[in-house]
Parts: sequence; C-alpha cells; structure tokens
Amino acid sequence: MRRRDFLKGTAAGSGWLLTSNSLRTGQQRLLATEARTAAGLSRVEARYYDRLPDREIKCRLCPRFCQLGDKERGFCGVRENQNGKYYTLVYGQVASYNIDPIEKKPLFHFLPGAMAFSLATAGCNVACKFCQNWEISQMRPEQVQSRYLPPEAVAEAAARYNCPIVAYTYSEPVIFYEFMYDTSLETRKKGLRNAVITNGFINPEPLAELIKVVEAIKIDLKAFNQDFYTNYVRGQLKPVLDSIKQIASSKVWLEIVYLVIPTLNDKAEEIRQMARWLKTEIGPDYPLHFSRFQPMYLIKNLPPTPISTLERLRDIALEEGLHYVYLGNVPGHPGENTYCPNCGQVVIERYGYTIKKNSLSGNKCRHCHQIIPGVWS
Amino acid sequence: MEKARVVIIRSERALAANGLPDPGSMLRMFRKGLEILTGSNQAEEALRQLFQPAENIGIKINTIGRRAISTYPEMAVTLGLWLGKTLGHEDKIIIWDRTNEELKEAGYKISRSVGSLRIMGTDSSGIGYTSQPVINRSVASLFSRIQAELVDSAISLALLKDHGIAGITGGMKNYFGAIHNPNKYHDSNCDPYLADLFEIDLIRKKHRLTILDALRVQYHRGPSYHPQWNEKTNQLIFGFDPVAVDAVGWKLIENLRAKKGLPTLSEERREPTYLQTAENLGLGLAHFDNIEIIEEEV
Repeated sequence: MRRRDFLKGTAAGSGWLLTSNSLRTGQQRLLATEARTAAGLSRVEARYYDRLPDREIKCRLCPRFCQLGDKERGFCGVRENQNGKYYTLVYGQVASYNIDPIEKKPLFHFLPGAMAFSLATAGCNVACKFCQNWEISQMRPEQVQSRYLPPEAVAEAAARYNCPIVAYTYSEPVIFYEFMYDTSLETRKKGLRNAVITNGFINPEPLAELIKVVEAIKIDLKAFNQDFYTNYVRGQLKPVLDSIKQIASSKVWLEIVYLVIPTLNDKAEEIRQMARWLKTEIGPDYPLHFSRFQPMYLIKNLPPTPISTLERLRDIALEEGLHYVYLGNVPGHPGENTYCPNCGQVVIERYGYTIKKNSLSGNKCRHCHQIIPGVWS
Repeated sequence: MEKARVVIIRSERALAANGLPDPGSMLRMFRKGLEILTGSNQAEEALRQLFQPAENIGIKINTIGRRAISTYPEMAVTLGLWLGKTLGHEDKIIIWDRTNEELKEAGYKISRSVGSLRIMGTDSSGIGYTSQPVINRSVASLFSRIQAELVDSAISLALLKDHGIAGITGGMKNYFGAIHNPNKYHDSNCDPYLADLFEIDLIRKKHRLTILDALRVQYHRGPSYHPQWNEKTNQLIFGFDPVAVDAVGWKLIENLRAKKGLPTLSEERREPTYLQTAENLGLGLAHFDNIEIIEEEV
C-alpha cells in the first residue's frame, strides 16, 4: 500500500480524518493535527481497581498498586481518581499511529511481512531513561496532540488498509488497557489479529484477561537484574519475568527484546543467566532479540552498542541453547535471519524490516522439515 | 549558623462571614508578614527590596483541588494586585498553575490582558512546556514555560495540606505543578524527588518567598478535601527559607492531628523526609533548633 493511498483512503472513507501534514517521517509516526484540551480527554471507568474509604482508590492494573486520593493520577499519568471512581483518560485518545511492518516491533515469528496498524496513547507505567518514544510515553494525555479513534474506528481503519494486525505499541499499552482490550475484540470481529508491544509490567489478573483477546505479545526485558530496573527503568524485574512465564504458558505467541546498552546491561555473565532462565522457564523456542542502543532521551553520554557486543551476546544465548536469537537495529547483519536449529539453513532472510526470502514450507524448514515455531499464516 | 526566620500571622478576621478570605484582612496579613520577615517597618519598601521593578513575578498557586481546596482567588489576587501596585507594573505579575480549567474551577478568571494582572495556566495558547527535559539527580522534567521563561522571580503561594504520600504538601511541593510529569515523582514519600526538583536553577534561583495558606488546614486524608478533617486556623506562614517554612507547616499539621487523636505522620510511615533531603542539599533548614518562629496577630 502506498502512503498516498493510506492518507487518501482514510480521509475519504471514514469519520476519523487523517491528513497529510499529520505524517511524520523518521520515526514513521503519524500525529494527529487536532489538539485536545484536558476537557477533551476520555472519561471511561477503568478496570482493575478497588474503592477505598474516603474516596480513595487502589489501582490493581500494574504492580505499582497506586493508591490515590480524589483528583490524583497514578504513576502512568493517564488514570485518575474522580470523586472515588477511577477513570482512564486515554480511551480512544490516540496520540500516535502508523502502518508498520510487523518486523519493526520486532516480531519475527508472527506473520512475517505483514503490516500492522500500530497505535499508542500518551503515558507509561515506567520511566526508562533510554526511552525512544518519551515524547508520548512520558507525557500526560493533555500534553500531547491526540485524536479520537474508538475501537471500531481502529478496526475499520486496519481492515481498510489491509493490515492483518493491530499493534498496541510505541508507549506502553498496559496503561491504555481498556482501550486495547475493547479494540482487540473489535478487530477480531473483522478477522484481524492483535499484537501487544509491552514492558510486561502488569499484574497477572489483567494479563490473564488480555491473553484471551490477543494473538502475540512482545516483551521488552530491560535487564536481568533489579538494580537496573530500579535505576534506569523505575520498575521491577520479577513481575516482568512472571509475565513472560504466564504468556509462555498460554496460546499467545511471545517474543522477547533486550536492548543492549553499553556498560549498563551488557555483562556477558548476566546475559548467560538470562538465557538459562529463559530456556528453563519457557523453553528454547521463543525468539530473543538483542537490539542495538542509540543515544537518546536521558542517556546521551553513551555510544551506540558496538556490533561486536551484540554478536558476543547472541553467541552466548545460542551457546546456552536458545534456538532463535536475533540482532536488531543492525540492518543487513546475518543475525537478522532465521536459521533452522536442526540443519542450520536460512529459512527466513531479512534486511532490516524487509523479508528478502522466506524458505518456510508451511511451518517447517524447507530443507529438513524441522518445525519452526511461530504463527506463520 | 544563622537561623531561618519563619513568620506566622494570625487573624480572626481572615475569613469573612461567607467563609472566603477577606481581601482587607489578607492585605494586612501580607503586610505584617513581610514586615516581620524582613525586619522592616514598611512592607512596601520590603517588597521593593525583594523584587526589582523590571522583574516579572510569578505567583505559583495550587488549584488541583478546585474550589473546595485550592489557593483562594481572594488571597492570590489580593497579593498580585498589591505587588503590582507597589512595584508599578501590574501586568508583570502572573498568577498561574497547570491548567486554565483547574484555575477556572477554583474560581479564577483567566486574564492575559496587557496592563492588568495576568492569570493563566501552562496549557494556555502559546505557553506549554519547554521542549527538552531538565535533568537533576533523580528528576528529569519539562518545565512550564511560565516558570522557565516568563517569570524572573517566584512566590510559592501554596495551600498547606496533609498529603497521603509526601506527608505534607506546602511551598516546595507546589512546584510539582511547574513540571510536566509530577506523577512520576510520588514514590517513596516524594523523596528525594521534591528536593531534587527544587534544586534545579529554574526553581531555586527564582524562588524568593513562600507564603503558606493555612487559613484552613486539611490535616488528614489530604490532599483531597474532607470537611471532617479540615480545621480553620486563620494563619498565613511566611518565609524566605522554603525548607523551614514547610517544616513549620508540618509541625502545624502534626499539632492538629495530635489534638484530634490521630497518629503522627511518622507512625503512618509518611513523614516528609524530603525536608531533610532538601537540607542536605543546602536548600534550607529543616530542624526546629535552626528555625526562629515569630508569631503575631493582626
């Protein structure tokens, strides 16, 4: 699909106007042109909270368990206690959307080559110092431009532009849980699938419900030690590991991304421990992506990750028995390809987000008929 | 070590029969507070010592609690008009907070007219936040352009309240309303975030004066309004030392809590430890041994 078709078709055929000047290149982000005020935010009752005495509430969506008085918002900045009732302020308030190849998420074993209608609202339940989308994730909804795209509009737009996937991404979809959940139901009605790109910092109960309505989840595992989560993420490692196990025990396809930041989370021994943990707890077949860091947001004093570091960490993970270990943000590197763990042949050849050659036969290696796990059609 | 001076001014006539601040009483309290704080016998002269005529002065108020529990317009506007009249430039005074909606709901009338007192939110057209985060220790935030660019000096005219996380909210925490992401800084009793934020030059170097509104104090279950735990004390608390003023406010809240048989903030594990952190950073004095408290009735 050409960009012009996307813009023209959407503007002509739906009530949700996308205009050409809302297209931003580079990050390939579409921003709405219509500013909103605080008064324009959504006011949909949130799920997963307890009412407490004296108009206080306790949020149960993520492991922070924010306890809030009247008029206060949680750490995410998008859920607010209004007179003892808890509301999401971002239901349908889309701050960023675009059509991306699914490889950009990255999801490599999930409908390769498919396009994903990708969207986000403002807000996040952590505060990574290296966030690449901080201009929406670290904002409150009234501080970003957004437009109203309710679930049925998202589903319709995705279908109209031949996107078989809707991806909840860019910021942190956990914090727009209600919108994501309802949108997933709508997209399923149209035969589309749903992919969640998340930090995995969510409580088991809402995750269990989410798993029922989505088909793929990619988790950003930021590090394999709590100190990093404390100092650079403002989050907790254990709930993320619990989420990984919970997803792996379900029917949802799972991939894991690890952004390698020089000197901060690139210790070989830690990567070895992580690989062992993954193999033991969820098995060797879920893809692990090592992504290359670029200086941004609050960490501009470190260089991009050396390719040699990424290669070394990939070798360690393969040594520990993981079958599918990729390198990300290194276009043209052989580590982007999928190799059959049985015969070693390339079964999917990639360049960046592009599929150059797909040698799968159904879900099997064309050369040796080894089953390659994933969602291929 | 020189003690930090904090002045408490009481007036039985601070609140009029309608329950709102009486502007005349407010003005008398402001004048007396400034005179005692500066050792001057002429409040207007003290103001002229404190602020330069060409300066744009921000009065940061707190309107998150809307009309029920916000800085009273009757108080803030009285202060703004007095400053404007004394310094000769009414439109160099900006009463401000996060959003126009909150200001209006708290009873303020938005005004950006040339020649008159300006009252506006950061979300006003053409204002907004700075584009790049300012980083200091644990804090990284965009600043309201009102605080960062429009004002040269600042008064924190804050409502004193109990706070369910920070322990108390006063003059220092009022500046959470000057950044785009205060929701990120409520962990661990807002400590060290509150002190780290105040240390940033955009606040520390511009802050000149704290006035705590303690006419009515929410001493429990704050910062929300709960009338059963809201006590009339008819006080304003003045100080140049932002840490010392808040420390005195904390003491007032503890006294009210003790009178009502409530546990101390320490017992509720929400002692405002950020005050000690602020002292450690050299932002002011948190210990009563180092604070000179002067009380007077008008």
